[in-house]
Amino acid sequence: MVTPIFIVATALGVGFAIGVLNKFGRNFTGALVLAALSFMTFISFQWFYALTFNNLSEAYVFTGGFKPPFAINLLMGQYESIATLMINLIGFLGAVYLYKSLKERGSDAQVVYLILIMALNVLVMTRDIFNLFVFSEITSVAIAGLILLEKGTRSISAGFKYIIATSVISTIFLIGIVFAYFITGTLNIDDFIGISLSTYKGGTIVVFLIMISAVLELKPFPANGWGIDIYEASEAGFSAIISAATTTASLFVLYKIMAFAGAEWNYYIALIGMITFIGSNLLGLKQDNTRRMLGYSSIGQVGLLITILGFKDILGENAPFIFFGILISHYFAKAGLFWLSGIINASNLKAWSIIRKKPILLFLMGTFIFALIGFPPFPSFFAKWTLVMDLVKTGNIVWVIGILLGSLFEAIYLFRWFGYAIKGDAEKTEEYKIEFHKIIPVWIVALSLYVLGYFIAQYNEFTSVINFIPLAFVALIFAIDFMPVLIKNTIAIIGMIFYFYTIYPQLDNLRLIFEVIFLIGGILALIAGYLHKGKRIGFYPVALLMYAGLTGILEAKTTLEFFYGWELMTAGSYFLIIRGKRSMTHALSYMLFSLAGAYAILTAFGIASVGQSTWSLSIINNIQYIPLWAYSLLIIGFLTKTASIGLHIWLPGAHAEAESDVSPMVSAILLKAGVFGIVLTLIGMGAENNQYSELVYVLGWLGAITALIGNLAAVFQEDAKRLLAYSSIGQLGYIVFGFAMMTHLGWLAAFTYTINHFMYKSILFLTIGAVVLRVKTHNMYEMGGLIKKMPFAFIAVLISIIALSGVPPLSGFAGKWLLYNAVILKGWYLQGAIAFFSGIIAFLYLFKLISSIFLGQLKDNHRNVKEISIWFIIPIYILIVGLMIFAAKPELILQPLGTMISQYFPEGGLNWNGGMATTSIGYWHGTHIMIIVGIMFAILFSWLAFLSRKAQKVKQFNIVYSGERPFTPETTHVSYNIFAGYNKALGFLVLPWITDFWTLTTNIVHDISGFVRRIYSGNGQTYLTHIVLYVVVIYFVFFN
Amino acid sequence: MINTEYFTLGHISLLLGFILIIVGFWGILTQKNIVKIILAFSIADAGINILIVSLGYVIGKTAPIIDGSVVQKAGIDVSDSIVDPVPQALVLTSIVIGFGVTALMLAYAMKLFTAKKTLHINKFNDLKW
Repeated sequence: MVTPIFIVATALGVGFAIGVLNKFGRNFTGALVLAALSFMTFISFQWFYALTFNNLSEAYVFTGGFKPPFAINLLMGQYESIATLMINLIGFLGAVYLYKSLKERGSDAQVVYLILIMALNVLVMTRDIFNLFVFSEITSVAIAGLILLEKGTRSISAGFKYIIATSVISTIFLIGIVFAYFITGTLNIDDFIGISLSTYKGGTIVVFLIMISAVLELKPFPANGWGIDIYEASEAGFSAIISAATTTASLFVLYKIMAFAGAEWNYYIALIGMITFIGSNLLGLKQDNTRRMLGYSSIGQVGLLITILGFKDILGENAPFIFFGILISHYFAKAGLFWLSGIINASNLKAWSIIRKKPILLFLMGTFIFALIGFPPFPSFFAKWTLVMDLVKTGNIVWVIGILLGSLFEAIYLFRWFGYAIKGDAEKTEEYKIEFHKIIPVWIVALSLYVLGYFIAQYNEFTSVINFIPLAFVALIFAIDFMPVLIKNTIAIIGMIFYFYTIYPQLDNLRLIFEVIFLIGGILALIAGYLHKGKRIGFYPVALLMYAGLTGILEAKTTLEFFYGWELMTAGSYFLIIRGKRSMTHALSYMLFSLAGAYAILTAFGIASVGQSTWSLSIINNIQYIPLWAYSLLIIGFLTKTASIGLHIWLPGAHAEAESDVSPMVSAILLKAGVFGIVLTLIGMGAENNQYSELVYVLGWLGAITALIGNLAAVFQEDAKRLLAYSSIGQLGYIVFGFAMMTHLGWLAAFTYTINHFMYKSILFLTIGAVVLRVKTHNMYEMGGLIKKMPFAFIAVLISIIALSGVPPLSGFAGKWLLYNAVILKGWYLQGAIAFFSGIIAFLYLFKLISSIFLGQLKDNHRNVKEISIWFIIPIYILIVGLMIFAAKPELILQPLGTMISQYFPEGGLNWNGGMATTSIGYWHGTHIMIIVGIMFAILFSWLAFLSRKAQKVKQFNIVYSGERPFTPETTHVSYNIFAGYNKALGFLVLPWITDFWTLTTNIVHDISGFVRRIYSGNGQTYLTHIVLYVVVIYFVFFN
Repeated sequence: MINTEYFTLGHISLLLGFILIIVGFWGILTQKNIVKIILAFSIADAGINILIVSLGYVIGKTAPIIDGSVVQKAGIDVSDSIVDPVPQALVLTSIVIGFGVTALMLAYAMKLFTAKKTLHINKFNDLKW
C-alpha cells in the first residue's frame, strides 16, 4: 500500500520538478501532470479497494515526526478514500480534457492545476483545522489563478468576485479557528470531537464562525452570486472541476466540521441546504445561458447534499448510501455536462439544437440529464428513493415535498434544454468540432454512470432485486443502432416475443391482461415499423426502454421495482413522444406531468411503508399511516398517465404529433399503465371496504366528466390524430369511471373498455397514421373520398368505429351494456347520464372521422395515392381478428375476467349460461346479437342496393359554385367545422380553461424566478454584502 | 475610576486587532475603488494577525525562541517562561497566505483595469442574474 501522504508528495514533487524541467517543452510537462494525477488516482483507488472490500481499517498519517496536536495528521478512512478517489479521477479526466488549454497557458498553469487537485485532497484528509484553512485558501488561489491565466476579459471579473468572496469567507473561518485554539488549546478535529467544543465558554460562537464559513464555501442561496459567475464565465473544463471536485471537497469539509459542531446544528444545516436547493432551482428556470443554468443546477444539487448531511443522524446507516449516490451522480453528470458545453459552442439554450448533428452526443447529454433528475438506472435513482422512503418513515414529509418540488424545478429547465437540443430550430448556430481528448472524458463519465448505477443497486438488499435483463436488452439494441431497421426491428420483435414467453407463466391473470396489452400490443405496433427504411437512429432503444419499463411495472414485487419500471417507462415514452414533429413542448409537458405524478406515487409509497417491515408491493393493501392521503396521492399520480381531465393537457399534442406507428404505442398501450396503477390502488383500498367511499366517489365523477369533455373536444377537431387523442381521453374517462364504481360489474365493464380501447385505438391510430403517411396531412378537410384508394383502411376504420361507438354487434357494445348495468345497480344515475350523453357525442366525431376522410370527393392531389402500407395492414388486421373474436365470443374473455374480479368482488357478477350473460336486470348473448345484426345488415344493405340501382354517381365537376370561385377551397369541404352548431351550444365546455390554468401557473413561477434572480446584480461588492448579511441572518436564526 | 487592569498589552492589541478587522470589513463593503478594496483586505488581514498573536500572548513571558543547546547546558526548563508558540507559527502562515492573496488580487486589478480602463467596482457587473 502506498501511503496517502504520497498523494501530496507526488503533486508537490512534480510541481517543483516542472519548474526545473519546463525546458523540455509543454508536452513533456503536460505528460508529467497526467502521470502524477494518475498515480494519485491509483493511491486513492487502492485505499478505497482495501478499505471497502478487504476490511482494512482506516489509517492515520502523521507528518513532521510528531503526533497531533503538535503536528498535522491526515486520515484515510473509507469516506476519505471515496472522496479523494472522486477528486483525483475527475482531476485526471479534467486534465485530459484541458490538455491543450493548459498547454497553451504554459507550464505554470499545469502546475497550478496539479496543486489545486492536491489541495482538494488535503481538504478531505486533513484532521487539522488550521490546515483546512490553509488548503481552502490554496484552493481559492489556485482556482482564481487558473482563471486569471485564461484568455479574454469575461472571466476576469468573475475570478475577481470569486477571490474577494472567498477571502471574506476565509477571514471569518480564520477568526473562528483562532478562537477555537484559544479556548481549547488544540487545532485537531479529533480533539474537538472528544472535548465537544461547544460546551466551552464562547464555544458556540466559535463553532458558528467555523460552520458558517464552511457553509458559505458551498455557495448557499442567496449568498452565492460570486459562485454562479464562476460557473458561467470560466472555461468549461474548470467549471467541471469546480462543480465536481471542489464541491466534493467542500462538502467533505462541512461533514468534518459537523462532526464536532453538535447535533443542534443538523436542523439548520438541513434548512440551509433546502433553501439552496429550492431557491437555486427556481432561479434556474429563467436562465437562457447554458453555463449559468448549469451553475444554478450545480448549486441546487449541492443544496440537496447539504440537506442530506443535515439529516445524517436521522437517516442512520443509509446516510452514506444516499449521500454518495446523489453526490456521484451529480459529480459525473455535471462534469459531463460542463465538458459538453465546452465542446458545443452554444451559450444560449436554444442554440443547442446544433448538438443533434452528432446524435451520439444527444445520448451523452440525455444520460447526464436523466442522471441528475434521478432516473433509473443511475445511482441517484436509488439514493433518492431511499432518501424519500427514510424521510417519510421518520415523519419528515414536509422535507420530502421540498425535495420533490426542487427536483421538479430542476427537471423543468433541464428537460426544456434537452428539448431544444433534440427538437429546437435555432436559426443561428455556430459550428463545432469534436476533439478526441475532449470527448473521451465525457464518454468515460457517461459510461461510469451506468456501471455505477448497476453496482450501487447491488449494495442494498432492497435495491438488489431489480431485474436488469430488459435494460441489458435495451443496451444491446442501442449498441447495434448503426444497423438497418430490418435487422433491429426483427431482433426487437423476437426479443419481445421471447420475453413474453418466459414471463407470462409468472404472472397472475390481472397482470397477464396488461402484459398482453403491453407486449403483444407492442409487437404489433413494431411490425408497422418495417415500413421505415434506413436506420431510424434512436428509435429502437427508446421504444424498448418503454416496454422494459411497462413489463417492469407488472413484474414488480416491491414498491421499488414498481417505481423503477414506472420511471423507465416514463423515460422511454418521453423519447418516443419527442421524436414527433413539433413535439418539443408536448414532450416537455408530458415529462413534467409524469414526473409530478411519479413524485406523488413515490411519496405515497413512502407513506405506505411506514410501520411495515417489508418493501413488498402488497404494503399498499394495508396502509397504516394517513391512508387517505396515500391513496389520493397514488390516484393522482396514476391519473397523470391516464390523462384525466385537469392532468390531460400533455396528451392531445403528444399523441397527435407522434410518428404514425408511435401513436398507438403511446396511446393504446402506454395509457394502460395508468389504468393498471389505478387498479392496484383500488385493490389496495380494499374492494369491500367503504372507508374511502368519498375518494372513489370523486374519482367516479372525475371519470364521467373526463369522458364528457374528452369526447366533446374530439368533436371539434379538424386534425384526425388530435381527434383520436381527445377520444382517448374520453375513453380513459369511461375506464376510470367504471373502476370507481367498485362493483363487480363496474370493474368488468372497465376491463372490457380497457381491452377494447387497446384494440380499436391501436387500429385507428395505425390506420389514420398510415393514411397520413400517404396523404401528407393531418387535416380531415384536406382529405376525402379515400374509400376507393384505400379500401382496407376504410374497412379497418369502419369496424373500429363501430366497436368504439358501442353499438351492436361489436365488442364495444359489451362494454356499454356492462357499464349501464353497473351504473343502474350502483345507483350513480347522474354520472351514468353524463357517461351515456358522452357516448352519443362520440357518434359525432366518429361520423366525422369516417365521412370526411373516406367519403365525399377525392382531392385532386390524392389522385395517385395508394393503399396504406402492407406493414400497417398486417398488425391492423390481426387486431381486427382479435376484435371480432371478442365480439362473437365475449365469454372467452369475460368469463375468466369475471373469475379474476371475483377475488375482489365476489358478489354481483355475471351469470353465464353458455354464451348468455345475465345480470339481475337483463341478459345479453354476444354471438346471437352478432348473428341478428348481421342478418339485419344483409337485408337492409341488399334493399338499399336494390333501391339505388339507378342512382347516378356524383363526379368531381357535378359541383357548382354558383359562378363564384372559393378562395379557400378546403373550407368548402363538408366536414370543415361540420359541428359548428354544437360548438355554439356546448363549446364553452371545451374552452381551454385547464390549459390556461397551467399556463398561468407556469408564468407565475417563472415571474417569481425572474424577480428573485435580480438579487444577483453582478456587482462583486453586493455579493460581499450578501455574504455578510447571510452570516448575520443565520446568526440570529441560530441563536434566536 | 477606570480599572487599569484591562490596559495590558494583550488586551490593547486584542482590541486593536478587532478594530482593524472591522475597519477592513467596512472598507471592503463600502469602497468603490478596487485597489482600495484590496487595501481594506490587507487591513483586515493585519487585524487578524494581531489578533492571533495577542491571543497567544501571556503576560510577562518572552518570545518562544529556544536554542536547544543553551537549554541543555543551562539544565533548566524554559517552557514556563515563553508564550504559546503555536499562534506564532500560525501567524507566519497567515501572513504568507495574506501576501499571496493580495498579490493575486492586485494582478486581477491590473487585468480589470486593462479591460475597461477603470477600477470602479460597479463597472464590472456584466455577469448577472
